[in-house]
Amino acid sequence: MKPKKPSSKRAQPDHLNEPHCAHEGECDYEQPSRRQWLRAALACASLAPILSGIAGCRGYQYGHLVKPGAKDLVGSHEAGSEVFHPLVDESVAKLLTRQEEQCSIAPDGSPQKKTICFVCVENKMSEDIGDFKDQLYEQIDSKILESDVFRPVSRRMVEAALQETRLRPDSLMIPDNMRLFTAVLERQGAPIDYLLYAKLTSGTTQRNSSKQRDYLLTLELTNVHSGVYSKESAEIRKGYHKSAMGSFWNYSR
Amino acid sequence: MRSRLLVSLISISLSLLSGAGCSTHAKRISLSRSLFYEGQLDACRDRLEKLHKSHRQDRDVANLDLAVVDLLEGRCKEAETRLKEVRDRFDHLEQESISEKTISMWTDDTVRSYAGEDYEKILIRVYLALASLMQDGVDAESYTLQIQDKHDAVMQRIWGASIDNTKPPGDLNTKKFRGLPIGFYLRGMLREQTHVDYDDALRSYTQVAELLPDCEPIRWDVARATQGVHSQPGCGALYIFTLVGRGPHKVESVEQPTSDALLIADRIISALGPYKLPPTIAPIKVPKVVAPNLDIDSVNVAVNGQPIGSTVSIADIDQLAVDTSEAARTQLIARAVARRVLKKATVAAVKQQTSQNSLTSLGFDAAGVAWEALENADTRCWGLLPGKIQVLRVEIPAGSHTISLAPEHLGRISHRTNTHQVSMTSGKNSYILAWFPDTLAQPRILSSGH
Repeated sequence: MKPKKPSSKRAQPDHLNEPHCAHEGECDYEQPSRRQWLRAALACASLAPILSGIAGCRGYQYGHLVKPGAKDLVGSHEAGSEVFHPLVDESVAKLLTRQEEQCSIAPDGSPQKKTICFVCVENKMSEDIGDFKDQLYEQIDSKILESDVFRPVSRRMVEAALQETRLRPDSLMIPDNMRLFTAVLERQGAPIDYLLYAKLTSGTTQRNSSKQRDYLLTLELTNVHSGVYSKESAEIRKGYHKSAMGSFWNYSR
Repeated sequence: MRSRLLVSLISISLSLLSGAGCSTHAKRISLSRSLFYEGQLDACRDRLEKLHKSHRQDRDVANLDLAVVDLLEGRCKEAETRLKEVRDRFDHLEQESISEKTISMWTDDTVRSYAGEDYEKILIRVYLALASLMQDGVDAESYTLQIQDKHDAVMQRIWGASIDNTKPPGDLNTKKFRGLPIGFYLRGMLREQTHVDYDDALRSYTQVAELLPDCEPIRWDVARATQGVHSQPGCGALYIFTLVGRGPHKVESVEQPTSDALLIADRIISALGPYKLPPTIAPIKVPKVVAPNLDIDSVNVAVNGQPIGSTVSIADIDQLAVDTSEAARTQLIARAVARRVLKKATVAAVKQQTSQNSLTSLGFDAAGVAWEALENADTRCWGLLPGKIQVLRVEIPAGSHTISLAPEHLGRISHRTNTHQVSMTSGKNSYILAWFPDTLAQPRILSSGH
């Protein structure tokens, strides 16, 4: 016959709940009783809302103006200002320098401006550039407008011509399409000498959890009369890592 | 000492009980929903406005429902304002509040500020885009970018994938949120209209095609963005968006007390003291998403009496709501169990502080049961969403045209045809937004610029 276990649910006298030692002086601290533990737990639970009210409030959102010349934020997952702005600066500068060298001089001695139609920015990268696309167009267009080499056609006129002709920007190199497109612009009072395309491409190199992505912005300029074209490009390489030490680990050896 | 503690505990419990409330959002909103689906939008708005004023915790969801009513009544500007307000508030509430979390452990989840479900956060931006398109469309493109941002953030949080991984996860049988194609569709639609950014349009349509691999019209969109043009000379594109069926809403469901979760809770309490646990008769209440059956499959479209085709779904809201709810269910139950443990621990502690009087002990058991039974499930949700959002793209010549819309179910087109005049511009998009809650209700049709 098995010995009967004492019921754990039986009410126990108070002294059984108190901490005790087998010998006097053996314990140098007092063991907390179950009652004390519960009391402490309850007190903590009651105070928690007050304490957390101080420590765990939802914050507000703040904004600040980035000073001119201050460094751009470096995107952790995708390219951002830190990539696109230098790409635009470098590629447009190269294009304008090259074209200035080839620029013909008017009888009055001033450089003869070439009429240029900046068609579009094409994104062939593996990343979606979202709202950067229109900004890139405007940045390039503004820089060209400021130059002494080109006289750009308004973007609105370009879009209107594409809408009227129902031509795709990538189909303008077909001779018939180009003739139709230039004829429409000419009718609008904007005859053109050059078509300009900006193209963003990327190349990715993967190494375990790190990757390097090379961003390339190419400006392609085509003479609509002769078909001769020239290209200028700028490149930026960027590394993405899962740890803060990733850049050191992958590029310092 | 004991009596003081007892009095303080009882007073805390009573104050928390009063905070827990006695009715759920589902009950408060039921009449408004009925009025909405009966087509009594004015009465529905009155009810919702009262709810908006009287229940602080329901304010955001009431605002969302009011935005739907405003939009369908043609007050697109007001709808946009409401939606923007809730969008910003939900963004703010994405930060956890420990104080709210702690208080909810003593009461229930209804005391927490409602931060919105993932699909609701994306749909707010979708509705913002639609509201903008119904006006001048100035902000529509910004809203489509916001849809993508929010979509990426949700996908990254759920899947832990890098946000440049735009492809949806491969396992199609998973219950995890896989994404809403409508955001990408709207982006593609707007980029195509520029006649320049076909590469953007193609990227967006490709993402839609990956989420809806069996949808044939999307393949046409992909083909058009790859090689075609927006529309033929002299024609424009008409997009007919339909809000079909009654959408998902949350109801209070009772989790069986014999569940493993409750057993664990009881064991934890038993381990704390030699006392008998209060009988577990109060079940755990958790919200459950229900999606009513749709009696409309699609909407048949005719232009000037000539049948053109039927709308196709680009946002299965019912399915997404059920899936995301199922995915979050374990966490929800775990929280409910933790709350039950805390309440039981409180009752046990109070009992231990008092005498061994069995009558007092019984009284505390009863109070504990009542405390647990007063819990309510958090049934707050955007309650006036449709079951599906569908679309049909039609290319028609510039000028004025009569568009006829008729609900379709099991291949049968309803004889109740609704006509609407639309004005088309060459090379541009025009939009129609139609609401078909069921085959019996009178639909509402809006067109852009009106």
